[in-house]
Amino acid sequence: MLILLLVIGAAVIGFFLYTGAKNGAVKRDEAVKAGWGNVQTTYQRRLDLVPNLVETVKGAANFEQDTLAQVTEARASVGRMTVDPQALLDNPELMQQWMEAQNRLGGALQRLLVVAENYPELKATQNFLSLQHELEGTENRINVARQDYNKVVADYNTFVRKIPNTWFLSDAEFPVRPAFEASAGAEQAPQVKF
Amino acid sequence: MLSIALLLLAPAPAPAPQEVPRLSGWITDLAGFVESGDRSAMEDLIGRYHAGSDNEIAVLTVPDLGGRDIESFALHVARENGIGDLQQENGVLLVVAAAERRIRIEVGRGLEGELTDLVSGRIIDLIMVPEFKAGKPSLGIRRGVEAIVAAAGGDLSAIPEDGDRHQGGSGVFGGLIGILVLFFLLSMLARGARSAGGRRGGGLGGMSGMLTGMLLGQMLGGRGGSGGRSGGGFRGGGGFRGFGGSRGFGGGGASGGW
Repeated sequence: MLILLLVIGAAVIGFFLYTGAKNGAVKRDEAVKAGWGNVQTTYQRRLDLVPNLVETVKGAANFEQDTLAQVTEARASVGRMTVDPQALLDNPELMQQWMEAQNRLGGALQRLLVVAENYPELKATQNFLSLQHELEGTENRINVARQDYNKVVADYNTFVRKIPNTWFLSDAEFPVRPAFEASAGAEQAPQVKF
Repeated sequence: MLSIALLLLAPAPAPAPQEVPRLSGWITDLAGFVESGDRSAMEDLIGRYHAGSDNEIAVLTVPDLGGRDIESFALHVARENGIGDLQQENGVLLVVAAAERRIRIEVGRGLEGELTDLVSGRIIDLIMVPEFKAGKPSLGIRRGVEAIVAAAGGDLSAIPEDGDRHQGGSGVFGGLIGILVLFFLLSMLARGARSAGGRRGGGLGGMSGMLTGMLLGQMLGGRGGSGGRSGGGFRGGGGFRGFGGSRGFGGGGASGGW
């Protein structure tokens, strides 16, 4: 009798631990996906600005071709990559490649803006000034989206690695997710300052 | 070696959540910039605008940023104070930092369509900064708030464009004359081509018409394109009854300095 009660009690406790782990992980996983989606959206926003920027800069008399080519190349390499959020999230190495491509683009854009300093007539154009505002805003959004993503990822990772949650959650379904490094060199979004 | 530099097992070192000022009204003037006349005018404007549109606009001035950049500071203040309605995410925060001489307009997600980064940037650079440079910060803040209210209501007529800053009056005038001359030349060309007869003439005329149309469109396009939801009529005053609790800020807006 006593043993039966104990078994039932253990089963009940186990059930609640299981549902707690599973539901908690699902909820946090969704937050991570939303956060990552947001990160990709902001990067996409920057990508969409590039053709316009390149066109505007091309208009300036003999603008340095190397700088321009680097931006176009970096954009193309980002454009060639997969953008399916889930695929990137599930594959840290793919995500790493994607981030590196994005960082190359960020760096190339930064150089372009620095070089643009030498073209006062370009800098005074309406188009360029508008793009400069848009680009600054986009870099800031990227930063915010990354920080927000890091927060939800930290929450998720802590949850799935905790005991007893870790007993009930499979690594395949709820793997530890990568976060962004705070600000390591190229990871730092370029400061667009004039 | 798996080069997963991205992977970070330790909790992400998010910017330390330092204390941020609690906003207890539409205007929180910790740096002492705002004169009483401007203050009551702004409180009246923001209060009435809120009553009519539900949008929440807050102003904060601080003596310094305590080592943070104004972007993360403004975001933090806006989220912690919950500026804007929870569902509509329609809050705006104007921050002025005295020591760093920085200004930022932080725009809630719900107003990013009206107060784009570009519009916010122009409000700072072309409306506020000149007043700050002229030693009139109180007026600068007031003009900024007026412009934010106008732009959030879809009225961009009060927002100058960047070109104005560089060209000045004569530049704009010269540009106008140039365009008029071009217009004149093109219409002459069209007329000439038409009188010369033949089908080619029609093509030329059509082309010049298209060109002038494009030019005019370019001229008018910049100023137009307001549309969108109008600010709604002002429905009498409304005191400050706390913010809506929105955390919906995604880094939209712009920064500047004087």
